Amino acid sequence: MAISRFSYANVRVMDLQKAITHYTDTVGLRLVESDDQRAYFQADECQDHHCVITTLSDRAGIDHVGFKVNDPSDLVEAAEAASAHGLAVRDVPLGEIAGQGPGVMITLPSEHNMLLFYHADKIGYAGGMHNPVPGVSKNKIGAKVSHLDHTLLSCENAQPTVDFLTEVFDFSCTEKVVDPGGNIIAAFMSCTNTMHDLALGPGPNGAFHHMAFGMHSRGEVLEGVDILKEDEVPALEYGVTRHGIAGVTTIYFHDPSGNRNEFYNGAYQSPGRPGLVPPIIWDVENFSRGAFYYENAVPPAFFDEVT
Amino acid sequence: MGLKHRGILRIAYVRLGLNDNRLTQSLNFYRDRFGMLESMRDSERAYLRCWHETFQYNLVLEQTAENQLIEIGFHLRDEEDLDQLTDKIEAAGIEVEQSPANEPLKGMGRSIAFTIPGGQRLRLFADMAQSGYVTGFESPDWVTPRELRGTAAPMFLNHVGLTSADPGATIDFLANVLGFGLSEKIVSEDGKTLSGLLFRMCRDVGGQELAIFPGEDGHLHHIAFTKEDPNDILIIGQYLREDGINIDAYGPTKQSYGNTFSLHFFDDFGIRLELCCGGRNIDAHPESEPITWTESDLARALSYYDSDVNPGFLDHSL
Repeated sequence: MAISRFSYANVRVMDLQKAITHYTDTVGLRLVESDDQRAYFQADECQDHHCVITTLSDRAGIDHVGFKVNDPSDLVEAAEAASAHGLAVRDVPLGEIAGQGPGVMITLPSEHNMLLFYHADKIGYAGGMHNPVPGVSKNKIGAKVSHLDHTLLSCENAQPTVDFLTEVFDFSCTEKVVDPGGNIIAAFMSCTNTMHDLALGPGPNGAFHHMAFGMHSRGEVLEGVDILKEDEVPALEYGVTRHGIAGVTTIYFHDPSGNRNEFYNGAYQSPGRPGLVPPIIWDVENFSRGAFYYENAVPPAFFDEVT
Repeated sequence: MGLKHRGILRIAYVRLGLNDNRLTQSLNFYRDRFGMLESMRDSERAYLRCWHETFQYNLVLEQTAENQLIEIGFHLRDEEDLDQLTDKIEAAGIEVEQSPANEPLKGMGRSIAFTIPGGQRLRLFADMAQSGYVTGFESPDWVTPRELRGTAAPMFLNHVGLTSADPGATIDFLANVLGFGLSEKIVSEDGKTLSGLLFRMCRDVGGQELAIFPGEDGHLHHIAFTKEDPNDILIIGQYLREDGINIDAYGPTKQSYGNTFSLHFFDDFGIRLELCCGGRNIDAHPESEPITWTESDLARALSYYDSDVNPGFLDHSL
């Protein structure tokens, strides 16, 4: 079968308690479990065990991204295909990561680790699985995040990773930014029917640009900005804005270790397999409008500040 | 082999037959007032699409003696899936009609059509022509096109509601033969399935492509289209009312069942339409678990906000 979901991001943090405060009180995730090395979080509208893991480290950045497959035999197949493609692969046994089954860790050409796994333990939706309360409880603390939506990873040359994800893992490319020579500067890759599950942008190999949390409305994004301001969370200077690429409402901010987060709302639907619809092409002259639709200029920090 | 998304990739279109001379009234509604784009038209049919859609049609209208739901179309990955699903549907004892490319609808590859338990026709195909994005493929402005502003201007076809005399049997077929997942269901006090929301696509406004309600076989309950968020839907509700369009008694509401913010209203032929946003976040995975509602909570499931009963809401509309 296939990769069915961008499931979680495991980010490195330098202070676990500060990370817990940020991802629960500000971002609004549920703290599922924690020990002295890691904390596991899930958004209100996802039934799996976690969508974010924070791992204690001496530096910020991305440890790995987790994607779920919908057939156990996919793991063997993916490992063989990645090995044949010349990528490093290792088995991740049951128990290494709480709340999920065994998996295979693949190092992408961009030098990011991507873990594929089949099983996630279930914690249910925050409103319950039976006659649930829709929407958000009055006792809710933090922003009204519904789910972890996508991540953007940085790399020096996106093309080999785009090729691998498209040809081997069945991702489609919905939009891309190209230089005058046709080289990819950024690519928006989907393994579902959303606009992107994993995006690639310019920067050092292996670096983490951001992970984005989905919301159901632009109003909830604005409420999220209010929470960020009240909590004095460091954010990109633009505050709330719109991406010309994808046409979504968004704000970027940072966790206490510097890892970039995003709140966003959008309804873009993609067709579900590579090659069916040609990608939207953004040229360099239009890129500033593509990145920040209202401001039409890209602040240097947007690409300089990666972890 | 290989990691491939197989089978049904997306809901493609709804095909309606309307007693409408030269489709004058239906085009006035769906194109001029509801705000869909006319991709193609011939002597028999009009083919309309939503503005954010590249494929040629989400709604096909044709003149018939009586108003009717003709079929619902789903897009498969490839011809291999078409053959495999043909075998599975026939093995389930259901007759499959084969059609060559461009028949009966233009711009479509080879297709199969069949009647599901519940009486509605579905058509599966692996190839559909594209009109392209109306906003273009080069550095576009992803903004509602100027000529559609002030209309409902739906972004995508989201889901279709059907009625069935035996919802459990309809849901079993869709899940076991066609590969749909179940995101939510309503069960009676004695554990019988009364209604289900079925999905294949994982997307932002997600969780259902088909909604099965109890009722008479062979009918359409409603057709739902995607909007960005509740604010859009509230504003469009004003335009619809100003335009004299019949809005359902619920008005704008949160539908707990499906987790959408929704507005239901009726076209000029009495067909119930919905604009929705939000939706249930669920993945196409065998271990995904559906939300379960009990019949005693039905009123709260259908509309979280309204406290008055709207008994007509469960009636089919075509």
